[in-house]
Amino acid sequence: MNRLEHLEDDRAGAVKKTRRSFISWFSVGALAVCAGVMTLFNLIFLKPRVSQGAASKFRIGKPENYASGSVVEMKEAKVVVRRDGNRIAAISTICTHLGCTVNSTDVGFECPCHGSIYDLQGDVVAGPAPEPLAWYRVGLTPSGELEIDKQSVVDAGTYLEVEA
Amino acid sequence: MSVDRVPEKPLPEGDKPGLISSLKQMPTRIYHSIFRYRPVPQNELEQAQAVADNFFFHIHSAKVRERSLKLKTTFGLGMLTLNVFLILCATGVLLMFYYVPSPDEAYERMQDLNGAVFFGRFLRNVHRWAAEAMVVLAVLHMMRVFLTGAHKSPREWNWVLGVVLLLLTLFMSFTGYLLPWDQLAYWAVTVGTAIAKYAPLIGEDLRYVLLGADEVGGEALIRFYVLHVAVLPAIMFALIGWHFWRIRKDGGLARPTTPQKNEVTPVTPDEQPEYDRFPKTEGKTYGLMAVIPIRTPQTGADVEKQVHSWPSALGRELVLFVITLLALSLAAIVWDAPLEGPADPSHPPNPAKAPWYFLGLQEMVAYDAFWGGIGIPTIFVLLAFVAPYLERRKGGEGVWFHPSRSAANWTFLSIMLLLTVLTIIGTFFRGENWDFVVPW
Ligand code: HEM
Ligand code: FES
Repeated sequence: MNRLEHLEDDRAGAVKKTRRSFISWFSVGALAVCAGVMTLFNLIFLKPRVSQGAASKFRIGKPENYASGSVVEMKEAKVVVRRDGNRIAAISTICTHLGCTVNSTDVGFECPCHGSIYDLQGDVVAGPAPEPLAWYRVGLTPSGELEIDKQSVVDAGTYLEVEA
Repeated sequence: MSVDRVPEKPLPEGDKPGLISSLKQMPTRIYHSIFRYRPVPQNELEQAQAVADNFFFHIHSAKVRERSLKLKTTFGLGMLTLNVFLILCATGVLLMFYYVPSPDEAYERMQDLNGAVFFGRFLRNVHRWAAEAMVVLAVLHMMRVFLTGAHKSPREWNWVLGVVLLLLTLFMSFTGYLLPWDQLAYWAVTVGTAIAKYAPLIGEDLRYVLLGADEVGGEALIRFYVLHVAVLPAIMFALIGWHFWRIRKDGGLARPTTPQKNEVTPVTPDEQPEYDRFPKTEGKTYGLMAVIPIRTPQTGADVEKQVHSWPSALGRELVLFVITLLALSLAAIVWDAPLEGPADPSHPPNPAKAPWYFLGLQEMVAYDAFWGGIGIPTIFVLLAFVAPYLERRKGGEGVWFHPSRSAANWTFLSIMLLLTVLTIIGTFFRGENWDFVVPW
């Protein structure tokens, strides 16, 4: 082999090498991108867009079914509906400590699990609960029915005004 | 190596392999097509083959150090954990034939298993007690590894795999806890997953993805079921395989660099290998080993006592397995797995408790939600992961409570003691409203 041939040989080798390394890097890159995208999409897949469980919005009948001063506990939905005069509110009965269902009492709420006590507003009076009970938005449907939306938490003390 | 391992009787000259003789030879031929050695090894070569040529046994090396088999080296704890895991897989698959992961059916199915299905109660009991035992055994195994310094270099990664296995064991137990769909299950999981909510940023999402809804319900049940019967066991199988492979690649079980007198066979002078008496001249090499940049084989040193895995290691493993099986069977006959009333989302029990191995956590949550439920546990888990990388000083490997490691051991034991005490308080000393009670 003369020098020229050597040179050409080297050049061919170099081309081969860059081609190989390109293919390698491309494959590794493509795999990484696929893995990333798949992981992300699968995580989103795992997070339900609509809850398959109990509906978050539900109707609880007309305002006139609730006498002023009444407190109605809805065990299934885990809310308490309270009417003071012309104002209606829905308060969650899910304890903010570790998720037990609190019981409604004359002076507020009591959690049977670890003894958290809340006042009528849902503010913590005693026990390990770190936050007050959640208040949910109460609305009126066109047909005049009350509707609670558990996805929308409102400030404590937010009532729906209804006609007397 | 393709040695003709089993002497086969050659066909007599001129004998045509006819149908009759083929039939006669069939059992032997079938046997030898599966096993390349005799049923009971007759010499050391066959003993080695019985291990190395067997798909299930070749996870072992042909020979193991006598020291590794001593009870006080490991107390067989890793093996016991494995046995319990295997029994869990077997009984779990059987339970799956009757179980339906739906809120309408799950509880009834559990009642059926307890009463109507032949052998159902026994299988369920074994599965339950094995699950509790696995948590305990994995923790004890971890303690023995740490207290014998077996997590240090070069075994750091196997320790990390172990920590992952322990977390998976806990998660496995936790996902299984929900499946009976009784009051105990429902509220333990409600309380247990509520702890996740205290994690900053991801807490709410984590719980939502885990439960598939805002609260424990049908979605959570199917998710926990899939994790419990498919995802987690598959991951654990793979990781346990990796864990075992690493033990061999890390040079077998941890042991002191200088073995004790009774662990070695001294090499007598006339057994000194030839090449050790070569004059050592600089710049000259006497073997290929010298040009490869790895540690050269040791010569002239005392030889550690080794025994064949068949039957020494395999026999002990068999005994351990039988002990596990008998203990769990006995437990299953004597004690029934708990099954309370059906899950009732509107009536929490007082107090509502997470599964017992999370009660230390729940106890801490009662003091401070974030630090108890997330902060401190995260610190402990991170500490566990990095422990072998923190403790870099050599020495004390394979020795219980080695004096040079007393600081590490005391730190470790204090943390374990703290967690144990908290768990005991949470389990026995907490009554209604999580008030302190005295159990007697
Ligand atoms: C959960 C399932 C687990 C199984 C089935 C398992 C099984 C085993 C087995 C059979 C051994 C051989 C020695 C012995 O029996 O002690 C072993 C060794 C080892 N395990 Fe585990 N283990 C598990 C979890 C863990 C955990 C939680 C840790 C630590 C955090 C751990 C760290 C180690 C280490 C570092 C070794 C090597 C010990 C040495 O060289 O002496 N493993 N494991
Ligand atoms: S869940 Fe209500 S006090 Fe703990």
